[in-house]
Amino acid sequence: MSGRAAAEKSSTVRFNMTGANEFKLTQGPEDGVSAVKFSPSSAQFLLVSSWDCTVRLFDVSANSMRMKYQHLAPVLDCAFYDPTHAWSGGLDSQLKTHDLNTDQDTIVGTHDAPIRCVEYCPEVNVMVTGSWDMSVRLWDPRTPCNAGTFTQPEKVYTLSVAGDRLIVGTAGRRVLVWDLRNMGYVQQRRESSLKYQTRCIRAFPNKQGYVLSSIEGRVAVEYLDPSLEVQKKKYAFKCHRLKENGIEQVYPVNAISFHSVHNTFATGGSDGFVNIWDPFNKKRLCQFHRYPTSIASLAFSSDGSLLAIASSYMQEQGDVSHPADAVFIRQVTDAETKPKST
Amino acid sequence: MGRKKKKQLKPWCWYCNRDFDDEKILIQHQKAKHFKCHICHKKLYTGPGLAIHCMQVHKETIDGVPNAIPGRIDIELEIYGMEGIPEKDMEERRRVLEQKTQGRTFNFLFTHLGMPPMMPGIPPMMPGMPPVMPGMPPGMMPMRGMMPPAHGMPPMMPGMPPGIPPPMGHHPGMPHMAQAPPTTTRPAVPATTVPTPQPSVSKPLFPSAGQVQQVGSGVAVNSSAPPSAAPKPTFPAYTQSSAAAAANTSSTVAKPGTPVTSKPATLTTTSATSKLIHPDEDISLEELRAQLPRYQCKVPSAGQAHVTSPPVAPMGGVLPPQQGIPAQQPGVRHPMQGPFGAPPQGVPGYVPGGMPPYGQAPPMVPPYQAAPPRPAIGMRPPVMSPGGRY
Repeated sequence: MSGRAAAEKSSTVRFNMTGANEFKLTQGPEDGVSAVKFSPSSAQFLLVSSWDCTVRLFDVSANSMRMKYQHLAPVLDCAFYDPTHAWSGGLDSQLKTHDLNTDQDTIVGTHDAPIRCVEYCPEVNVMVTGSWDMSVRLWDPRTPCNAGTFTQPEKVYTLSVAGDRLIVGTAGRRVLVWDLRNMGYVQQRRESSLKYQTRCIRAFPNKQGYVLSSIEGRVAVEYLDPSLEVQKKKYAFKCHRLKENGIEQVYPVNAISFHSVHNTFATGGSDGFVNIWDPFNKKRLCQFHRYPTSIASLAFSSDGSLLAIASSYMQEQGDVSHPADAVFIRQVTDAETKPKST
Repeated sequence: MGRKKKKQLKPWCWYCNRDFDDEKILIQHQKAKHFKCHICHKKLYTGPGLAIHCMQVHKETIDGVPNAIPGRIDIELEIYGMEGIPEKDMEERRRVLEQKTQGRTFNFLFTHLGMPPMMPGIPPMMPGMPPVMPGMPPGMMPMRGMMPPAHGMPPMMPGMPPGIPPPMGHHPGMPHMAQAPPTTTRPAVPATTVPTPQPSVSKPLFPSAGQVQQVGSGVAVNSSAPPSAAPKPTFPAYTQSSAAAAANTSSTVAKPGTPVTSKPATLTTTSATSKLIHPDEDISLEELRAQLPRYQCKVPSAGQAHVTSPPVAPMGGVLPPQQGIPAQQPGVRHPMQGPFGAPPQGVPGYVPGGMPPYGQAPPMVPPYQAAPPRPAIGMRPPVMSPGGRY
């Protein structure tokens, strides 16, 4: 008995289990995590970009790091073009692609200021980057080369692809919707319906709309169709707030990720909590245990079976000491992610 | 979901004037917000029920219905969902809704035509607004009048950036317009017509002025009050009045979030009841972090902290003056941060960015204030290269 208990304990330790269905990645980054992204074809591989200037590829099923490559400065976002190519960009303003088979880097191009977002649009087969230089640039992933630069009204803070459309969230709470097949003009200009700085935007897998979060513990669900009847459905709600001693602490909501199958979404805040929401019934489905520190990024795997949670302090309260930054991988169940039918 | 008979009106809560899709949700709301005992959190069914419970169980009297707007706190009125609402309040509500609808139609005209025939009172409403915004198409004049110098002002916008549409040409359905109607769910209404009863004069055009829609039960709801006190001082005038009037049941985080611009504006982060866990500057957390000394030396897209490497094209000219420096002091973390346009840092003598330092031609590097260092910036010791802008 004691032998078995000992064996179990050591295996728990070896696999870094932090719950019955959750574990922490080993050989994780040595500084804050900026983004986590699963491979489009498999729940086995995860890209993690970090403030330690690296982008790492993990084999999640074995909890091991398969590959790592460097940038000159902290990396702010990464994305898979396809299962064998990672793209990334950050404070060095360089957009890099890394071949995961040959472990080779290529610098594809640059922005004039740090690159904040890197995403792929499968429908149009183009990589999209957003930067603090107030532009969005498109890149042909095959050559690879630049396919256009499009000025935004302000620094780009977040962007998301919905089918063949691109939703860009900038400083100053602006939101722009572009048609990636026709970038000659902005398709829709909007203002965030939240009063505080936009933190993250993610489009619904069904492409009907997007979810937008702010630094003020609030999330808005918006629709792309500009017609009145559809616009009436939009709403917002407060979240990621904690009451302590009569004062409500309001936290930024940094991360959003959609479950590809159920169209429900998870939000991660600087309060260290992850919530899963059902946007159709307007209910919260589930809240996980509190993570050691702020949630910087979330990613559901493409099959919806896993959720990668980057728990990484984001300097909300200054440069103070904080629990170690880490990435957790959690197996999620239908009970946690599927809308409840009424 | 139960389909109760809906009066012409959508179900609304008499205590706080909020609208709901369904009476069932309305009742859940009332039980949770108005009929909940503050001592033991038991949810009662009516106001009198709550009063009786508090008296019998806790031996305490309560003066009024919790979370109700002034004038609607009567604990003795037995209201359940839509039942029990005094007729005169029902009529008043209908009137108010009608005015809102008119306002909405009006607003349609407004945004569609850009120059609605009647814009009464706009000037009076917007004192201090510069009559003409530079560069705005004449047709949009009055609108501009309302709008703070949205043009050219990066964010700013309480909602009007969409003002740009006309030039935009192809603008399907007026997105901003889309924003307008939803606003009517809350007392926010087209400023233009807003008759006084409407609390948030904050125009539909400025959804930020507190329109965030409410969600049905089960999920917390926004506070409509604090309007965006955007860089436009005139607005706060409105918004404040609307703030006062808006029914704000959960009074938290009620502050003018300054949705501002590239100027590192500061947020109003604290109020008596809530605190925003975010640094004061209204720039993103990543930008703030990038300003930390330990990341500054790494930032250069060209040249690294320790090595004098040839400058990368875009940064071309910027480098040469720099080269020597890193070499001399490899790895020095210069305490100076984002010299360039990082006002919060208070670095003296540096031009808060419009131009990249070293007198680079504008096209080279777009000035983005507040932060992240351009190459070599971090390494800048007092010895500045000639031709520097500061």
